[in-house]
Amino acid sequence: MAFWFYRGLRRGIVTTRYPKGELDPWTRHLPTAPAFHPDRLTPELAQRLAVGCPAGAITTDGRELVVDLGRCTACGRCLELAGDAAAPSGESLLAAVERSDLIKRIPVAGR
Amino acid sequence: MTDPNTELEQVSSELRRQTLSIFGRSLHIRTVDTGSCAACESEIRLLAAPHYDLHRLGFFFTPAPRHADLLMVTGPAVRAADNLLLKAFEATPDPKAVIAVGACALGGVYTEDELVHGAVDRVLPVDVYVPGCPPSPLALLQGLLVAVDRLQSRVAALSLELDGGAPR
Repeated sequence: MAFWFYRGLRRGIVTTRYPKGELDPWTRHLPTAPAFHPDRLTPELAQRLAVGCPAGAITTDGRELVVDLGRCTACGRCLELAGDAAAPSGESLLAAVERSDLIKRIPVAGR
Repeated sequence: MTDPNTELEQVSSELRRQTLSIFGRSLHIRTVDTGSCAACESEIRLLAAPHYDLHRLGFFFTPAPRHADLLMVTGPAVRAADNLLLKAFEATPDPKAVIAVGACALGGVYTEDELVHGAVDRVLPVDVYVPGCPPSPLALLQGLLVAVDRLQSRVAALSLELDGGAPR
């Protein structure tokens, strides 16, 4: 978290290297939207995820899980509900020009 | 033969993109709050701090929409704020861009009802969407750079599918 502080003391520069360089290492610890294992998603689990999402970001028709990254608040409730079927995506740079780019469809392939 | 409407849309979006890229290294930002919890504002303020140093990239905050090139709109577009939002948009000189910031402004958290529109793009044309609750300053920075065409949005290529690991 405080790496930039030490780097700043050493080099006299505290400013992030982004966008010319890589993202700061501490961004790995930010909460991010979930990613899912399609093989481990069952229609029942998908339904539980849709009901359990407080932001209304997850919907399902039983065949695919639709995750709206725009609505996601990265609260982590789906990660608790889904167990090993989900993990944080780790992607925090999500700016989109088209709203539809933020809507992701994941097949529900589990039995 | 391509559909004339699609072609017109492509040309207009290309024109819009090129117009915004004119802002290049001097872009003035006005933030507009339509009823947010102020978490987004706190992240936006951090952009001017030494660690992010927004000014090195030629972005500046301005206190009036008349001096602004870009509106950064936060909050779920509360209907009571319609007037101020539209006034701020009209007062911003052309060419202008709108960035919707945060999950509320993108339709999450609050659904449409008699108090809120639920998403900023129901009131204003939005050019760039920055998700997050709140988006980190680096995410906001990426949104700004995408708005002026200095970075490409990469979310379209992002897949939320994990692979590896045998199914249970």
